[in-house]
Amino acid sequence: MGSSAGLKDDCEALLSRFQEMDSVRFEDFTELWRSMKFGTIFCGRMRNLEKNTFTKEALTSAWRYFLPPYTFQIRVGALYLLYGLYNTQLCQPKQKIRVALKDWDEILKFQQDLINAQHFDAAYIFRRLRLDRAFHFTAMPKLLSYRMKKKMQRTEITEEFKDPNDRVMKLITSDVLEEMMNVHDHYQRMKHVISADKSNPEKSLNLIKDDFFDNIKNIVLEHQQWHKDRKNPPLKLKVKGGEEKIERNSQQSERCERAESLAKIKSKAFSVVVQASKSRRHRQVKVDFSDSESSQVQTKTTRKRRNKETLKPAGRKVSSRDRGDMQNLHKEDKSLSLSMPVVTEEDEENESFSETEFTAPKRRRKQRTKS
Amino acid sequence: MAEDSLGDPACGGMDGRQDPVLSSGGFNFPEYELPELNTHAFHVAAFGELWRGRLRGEGDLSLKEPPAPALPGAGGVSDSGSEDAAVARDLGCSLETAAELRAVCGLDKLKCLQEGEDPEVIPENTDLVTLGVRKRLLKHREETLTIDRPCRQETFAYEMESHAIGKKPENSADMIEEGELILSVNIFYPVIFHKHKEHKPYQTMLVLGSQKLTELRDSICCVSDLQIGGEFSNTPDQAPENISKDLYKSAFFYFEGTFYNDKRYPECRDLSRTIIEWSESHDRGYGKFHTAKMEDFTFNDLYIKVGFPYLYCHQGDCEHVVVITDIRLVHHDDCLDKTLYPLLIKKHWLWTRKCFVCKMFTARWVTNNDSFAPQDPCFFCDVCFRMLHYDAEGNKLGEFLAYPYVDPGTFN
Repeated sequence: MGSSAGLKDDCEALLSRFQEMDSVRFEDFTELWRSMKFGTIFCGRMRNLEKNTFTKEALTSAWRYFLPPYTFQIRVGALYLLYGLYNTQLCQPKQKIRVALKDWDEILKFQQDLINAQHFDAAYIFRRLRLDRAFHFTAMPKLLSYRMKKKMQRTEITEEFKDPNDRVMKLITSDVLEEMMNVHDHYQRMKHVISADKSNPEKSLNLIKDDFFDNIKNIVLEHQQWHKDRKNPPLKLKVKGGEEKIERNSQQSERCERAESLAKIKSKAFSVVVQASKSRRHRQVKVDFSDSESSQVQTKTTRKRRNKETLKPAGRKVSSRDRGDMQNLHKEDKSLSLSMPVVTEEDEENESFSETEFTAPKRRRKQRTKS
Repeated sequence: MAEDSLGDPACGGMDGRQDPVLSSGGFNFPEYELPELNTHAFHVAAFGELWRGRLRGEGDLSLKEPPAPALPGAGGVSDSGSEDAAVARDLGCSLETAAELRAVCGLDKLKCLQEGEDPEVIPENTDLVTLGVRKRLLKHREETLTIDRPCRQETFAYEMESHAIGKKPENSADMIEEGELILSVNIFYPVIFHKHKEHKPYQTMLVLGSQKLTELRDSICCVSDLQIGGEFSNTPDQAPENISKDLYKSAFFYFEGTFYNDKRYPECRDLSRTIIEWSESHDRGYGKFHTAKMEDFTFNDLYIKVGFPYLYCHQGDCEHVVVITDIRLVHHDDCLDKTLYPLLIKKHWLWTRKCFVCKMFTARWVTNNDSFAPQDPCFFCDVCFRMLHYDAEGNKLGEFLAYPYVDPGTFN
């Protein structure tokens, strides 16, 4: 899906640059917005129907980053992004932002946090959106029509935008630490009170290490520091690397590496093209690496002309799988495979057709003459 | 009302795991039952009330036009002043901060194009991936298309989607109430063509929560309702008077274990009885089914799952899968005229079968065993049919069987 993948990339580019700024001010956001000329994302002579669908998609993509588990800064950035997209859209009347019931309470809590933390610009922006009635209050975040695709596309969560999943910190929160400190002091005092010598508690009552609480506190602080250090260098490297995905959480890097190596192998396989015989010179398969999707489409069109080249059968078998794998390239390995007849929404079909518009018309025409 | 309908025949291997524990904050909180596919069952009106409870008194529910924000610099001082006061009150900040906020967060800060730049032209040096893709597409269109305009299916689809937006009723009694729920329902066509394997065609209707089920039933256009029974080769002029819609008036909806039968007319039969008897005859593993009258229930009274397939059956055996895709609160930009609902907003475009002779008009007759026709069955428009099969006086020529034909694309 061309436009949705592009949207995801653009939103993430904007949000990661916002994250690096280490600020939650709207002014900083608008600087970024203007420098990237993000408002021009709606330009390009889109026809009415396309405008509507694209805007809806843009708002849905941005909305994802507004909800937990993303970090506070990313969520504020997403709020600004929503405000920007909502106000620069070209649809008339404006496309709205869908809010599901289960997310609303979380959002109100977020707004309250913003007010309490005195981030007035973010709170003002949210208030503004609400006053403009930019929201549709719905049951679920997206329209559900029981589409049974063979491989369910799981929306992946960008790891850099999340707070790392810290089980230790969840267990030993600051409340727990405070509680522990109080209990510890109380315990020591009790020992003093009941012993004969008021200044020194009985030796026999020494059942725990006296500095137990301090030790725990130090260990926890060290752990926090380690997390911070782990997070920060990766961010700097990513900036320099650009395309290179050097540092991620160890889990995802393994998966990504494996997926990437698979993709490399496949692309190598497809890059080897059999040289057509002289009589078939005009039907030589060309592999275009500029766009991975179009390379698959190209092999498919040549297939339809019943080429006798040996690459074709292999290409046909692998291409559909490859498509699926390409989709799963950056996604989690878990996929829900269901064995029901496929019922998908028409919009999907239209969009995918428009994306492969280069060769799709040719393909369709060919089909008709044959049948 | 039975909600544990374990068996929906369309579901096959999927067992509907009811997990009320998942729903936080009460039973009527929509949550996914099968992730990304459908929710568990909940009561529509109760869900509506959950939203209204959260939004009451905040102006979110109002259907009047929202007040436009005072622009920084422009507008009367009094406007911005009162607005700043409201901001200061809501956010707990000072008036100066409020004024500053109005300036800092103004829409002019989001402007990316200079004055005079065309919003339709993609800027040259852009980093945005989306724009790169779009540029390539536009370039390709320029190179390959002679005339670049939307095809009529696209215009049709766009018109359907937006023709009723913002319509206000002339009679204020027909105005939709604040806090009304709008359900969007996908009704699939009953035909099963091989070419529809991947994408089954459907139409989408918007229906209000306060409307009765019978109103939706009446607004569903299905070609099987217009079928005319009977052979008319001997009497082609006899205008068929009874279309199936008038003859067979029974219909039912099936939602969550209950069959809602249309019982408005005395001829209406209970079509669901066959199914219920079948289910009860042996232990088939389905829960107890209930029946009810369609005209007694509104959409607000139903327990439904969003995204889950249900059934609409009419004409005895014409079955449509029905999926409720979305429920939301009404918005001031929606069509606010009650009388226009149920509103059709999306329809699959069906190519009509043309007359075999002239290839211009839609077929109105179909013949079998026709000595004049090159194929069996063969389709004709009215004029060509009469010209070919009858002489100037209207006498039947040759042997054939003729039936009136209603094309599924009639509703385009």
